[in-house]
Amino acid sequence: MENKKINKHLSVEPKSWYWMLYILPALFVYIIFMAYPLIDSLRLSLYTGSNSLNREFIGLNNFKKLFTDDFFSLRYKSAFGHTVIFFLINMIFQNCLGILFAVIITTRTMKLKTFYQTIIFIPTTFAVLVTGYLWKLLLNPVWAGETLSNIGLGFLAQPWLGSKSTALVTVSLISCWQWMGIPTMMFVAALKNIPHDCLEVASIEGANAWQTFIKIKVPLIKPVIGMITILTFVNNFNAFDIIFATETVNGAPNYATDLLGTFFYRVGIAGEHPIAIADPGLGAAVATITFIVLLLGVIPILKFTNGDN
Amino acid sequence: MKKKMFFVLLSLLIIISPNVFAAGAEETLGDQVNLTMGSWRADDVEAMNNLLDAYKEVAPNVEIEFKPTNPADYNATLRLQLESGTGPDLMYARSYAPGIELYNAGFFANCSDIEGLSNFTDSNKAPWRAPDKNMFAIPFAAVSHGVYYNKDAFEAANVEIPKTWEDFLQVCNKLQANGITPIANGLADEWDIFETFFLGALPNYIGGASERVKYESGEKKLNNDKFIKAFTAMRDVAKYCPKGFESVTYNDSQALFATARAAMFIDGSWSVGTYSDVTFDWGIFAIPAPKGNDTAITFHPDMAITMNRASEHKEEAKAFLSWLCTVEGATTASKYLPAGFFPMINAPINIELKQANEFLALNEGKKTDARFVWPVLLELYSPMDQAVIKVMKKEITPTQAANDIQMAYDKLDL
Repeated sequence: MENKKINKHLSVEPKSWYWMLYILPALFVYIIFMAYPLIDSLRLSLYTGSNSLNREFIGLNNFKKLFTDDFFSLRYKSAFGHTVIFFLINMIFQNCLGILFAVIITTRTMKLKTFYQTIIFIPTTFAVLVTGYLWKLLLNPVWAGETLSNIGLGFLAQPWLGSKSTALVTVSLISCWQWMGIPTMMFVAALKNIPHDCLEVASIEGANAWQTFIKIKVPLIKPVIGMITILTFVNNFNAFDIIFATETVNGAPNYATDLLGTFFYRVGIAGEHPIAIADPGLGAAVATITFIVLLLGVIPILKFTNGDN
Repeated sequence: MKKKMFFVLLSLLIIISPNVFAAGAEETLGDQVNLTMGSWRADDVEAMNNLLDAYKEVAPNVEIEFKPTNPADYNATLRLQLESGTGPDLMYARSYAPGIELYNAGFFANCSDIEGLSNFTDSNKAPWRAPDKNMFAIPFAAVSHGVYYNKDAFEAANVEIPKTWEDFLQVCNKLQANGITPIANGLADEWDIFETFFLGALPNYIGGASERVKYESGEKKLNNDKFIKAFTAMRDVAKYCPKGFESVTYNDSQALFATARAAMFIDGSWSVGTYSDVTFDWGIFAIPAPKGNDTAITFHPDMAITMNRASEHKEEAKAFLSWLCTVEGATTASKYLPAGFFPMINAPINIELKQANEFLALNEGKKTDARFVWPVLLELYSPMDQAVIKVMKKEITPTQAANDIQMAYDKLDL
């Protein structure tokens, strides 16, 4: 009887709508700052005009313009291609080096772990504008040329950021250099979480370092690999700041480093120098496609790395 | 339920409060009128505040606040402000298309009936005349282009100011032999090499405004001998630029010239105040024309000021603009304007800085024109800029460059 009473008391449904109050603030913030702008920018991609007074509905013409207009399709395709290259270079160098450093740092016999960890992480704390400015000076033959030739490396004094063939790779590597600390830290944390007995068993069974790495460490940190891949993917497809800091928003030289981010900025926000009349609708179309690409890209990555769950 | 009421009240309060405060801020004290002025000259806050203080002696009851934006963000920010009805009462207006756009959109007021406008020549008014023949702003300042040169370096290499382009290349040669980089210009920022150097020199090859219009109308081809010659000049000069000039930025160029590591810098007059504390003697000369041509100057209309059609204090705003159109106003303005921005009024005005005066004196007896692409062919800016850069990198020949430009022109619907 007593028991039943308590049970009954516990199973009393709270007033059905009360729970809504608790999610209201979050929902409010989410709608105002995330959902509404997102949906509005999707809507905007169907309009043209440089301001709200001359804005008119044109259906899917912005998308058509991006893919068929002589000028815009040329720039858009080149920006898309550059973004893919930029992402791949980041993906390969940043994350492979990240995992390598993490494995080295978490090796039990390693000395001065904190020291190396700090060094690798420091660039991440710099503002991108600072990084860009520093590398611009370092890679400029005018300022660094003398020092380089004094130490017998004169052949390195090339306009790396100024010639069409090297600019994109150079900028990508600068970006890798800056953000390497993030994957390294995440991998270090993941590797530290691997139960010690797993590794002990492996070494008793006679597995060498490579086998331990491939057969035990990699499968156990797979979710982290997925997480980092997604972060790299999203961040690099939206990259803008590093190009802004090193190569101007035109993606100098000769549009060789023009990414989707810089193209979007020129088309949708600032307008092409010196006319500087932007078409926010066309910009929104660029953003919409990027959004869809990211959405479609993230799903398989999640599936692949979280498959077991 | 009480909680719900509380939430409703709170959100009401949040919605209402900005309006309450905003209304408070807009109130004027007695006859005192507060105006705001928008601008892209974020570097000029002090100069403009001095100018606006000077205006208070003319109109004691008018307080104008100078509120500049970053140059690159100005167009976007201004449009946003104007659309949302929070635009400034007075603001800087870009010349030609970008300015016309804001006039047509109904934001810039019609300034045609400001009396002092007769103090400006037609060619100085043209950049701010809308297609309907109305003036949408009053001309404020122009910039010029020329060669900054290090007199000490010239003396050391035993060279003089070149009279022709051929002499100029000779001078470069001698300077280089003397162990100094002849020209500080680079390509990394892309705009400077084109706007200051190529467009600065172009009137030497094609002539002034009367010739420019022939290219705009299609009467003359953009791949004629004159253009090819201009592109050839850029090719020839590349080897006198710094080593690795492909990655030399505008700031790098300024630093190279200021530290006497480069003997010349082709730049705009707006930099004339930058080198006040360098350790060498320097001066200005015009980019020389090739033999047989007259040297002409690119004297570019840059800034104008206009008023907001939706301003609540149109009378006061208009009075300020009228004052700027008087000789007295223009003299006061030029006193406070940063060096290298020249008043456009048709009256002799004395400028304090020696080199700024030298710059203005370059105009004497020479034809002048705005930067070639600005008036009509602004859409050729990018193709031309890229062509100049490719020529200097030897990726294409001057003839190919000229053909590329003509092709880009053919694609325009004018």
